[in-house]
Amino acid sequence: MPFQHPILWIHEEALGPHNPARLAWPDAPALFVFDTQWIENAGISRKRLGFLYESALECAVTLRKGDVAAEVISFAQRHQADGVVTSVPVDPRLAGIAARVESQYPLERLEPEPFVNLPRPPRLGRFSRYWREAEPVVWEGF
Amino acid sequence: MVLPLPPITPLSWPEQPGDLPRDLPDRDALDRRLANEFPSAQGPLSGIQGGRQAAESQLQRMEAKRYGRSRNHLKGAVTRLSPWIRHGVLTLAEIREAVFAQLRDRGQGRDDGSKLINELGWRDFWQRMWGDLGDGIHESQEELKTGHDPSSYSRELPDDVREGRTGLACMDGFSEELVSSGWLHNHARMWMAAYLVHWRRVHWKAGADWFLEHLLDGDPASNHLSWQWVASCFSHKPYVFNRGNLERYSDGRYCKSCPSADTCPFEGSYDQLESQLFAPQPAIRDVPSRRRNGNTRGSASAAFARPKR
Repeated sequence: MPFQHPILWIHEEALGPHNPARLAWPDAPALFVFDTQWIENAGISRKRLGFLYESALECAVTLRKGDVAAEVISFAQRHQADGVVTSVPVDPRLAGIAARVESQYPLERLEPEPFVNLPRPPRLGRFSRYWREAEPVVWEGF
Repeated sequence: MVLPLPPITPLSWPEQPGDLPRDLPDRDALDRRLANEFPSAQGPLSGIQGGRQAAESQLQRMEAKRYGRSRNHLKGAVTRLSPWIRHGVLTLAEIREAVFAQLRDRGQGRDDGSKLINELGWRDFWQRMWGDLGDGIHESQEELKTGHDPSSYSRELPDDVREGRTGLACMDGFSEELVSSGWLHNHARMWMAAYLVHWRRVHWKAGADWFLEHLLDGDPASNHLSWQWVASCFSHKPYVFNRGNLERYSDGRYCKSCPSADTCPFEGSYDQLESQLFAPQPAIRDVPSRRRNGNTRGSASAAFARPKR
């Protein structure tokens, strides 16, 4: 999906320089939105917001608050973007937001560099099962 | 000492009305702005600074070999990197590389770095589990093995715990640290969770949700599954500790000045405490016998430190 001038949705899982969307599009306008519904429902304390805010200040991101999907779409429209690029979200809340954005705008989700590159999805359920497969691969780089 | 804000990166596109400010003069201004914009968000800022500069500074202090040897101690060489890892300011991949580089530079071997690498592996595991379970992390994964009716666990966090006035110096100390700094040593999280679930008979989710309000590294998957591990609904047995264990890993700092030292609820052997806290289980002959190699905890251990007795 070759975008010409996308905007970036930067979310809570990737507020750093290795955000794959940022690496792919270093100059694209980028947005971080404080999810007000999450903040109220989960009783998120001000120090958590302060940490996010400070992290976001060091990134080149516009800061807004509210309904995240609506804000991302609005930002994309304002910048006449042809798509939205983000990093793959793990949190279902963020995945849901991505899906809502995607209903209105082409959306690309980029994988961050993994901790370990496994040839196929590892067994889960118990750490020992996962680590039996993952540990040797992790140490290959040493 | 008043913390400054991190270096602020300028934007190369225009601002719009309704954007939150990027030109704050100092941290007090940030605090006031947040109080205004998010009135439900309680409490002052943490002394832990967000952002890449603070993250790199903390990463410089990492010592993998010392970590491996001392990570169970409250004053041990824990990396404290979790808030920046959780929000992707630092990635697991780059920390892995930093560990490898340090081992090489210091002529240290794989064994010296393996504990820390292991714990990074736990973080990766929790993220993969979250991908697998989705919102299922909010439900108990397994039956409790405490012998108690699940409905006997209160869904409300007791006020004395929330407000740090249980009269137990350790628990009140942990509450205070959680609420003021948003960070707690792994071992303190385990002790606190065990106290709430097993001694106070509070449902794991009440404590888990409270932790997420305050922890700068608050991550629903690792947090909730770890609380479940303590409770025994994601492990083979409930996690408990005793005064000796806590005293040892805190250098007696809390016990020394505790108003409840003579009525300490954690006094006793593990056997005594277990028979006090838990009800007899139905016979386990129906449970398939597996891996009887003494590793009853190891295979189900959570992101919290494996309990050391």
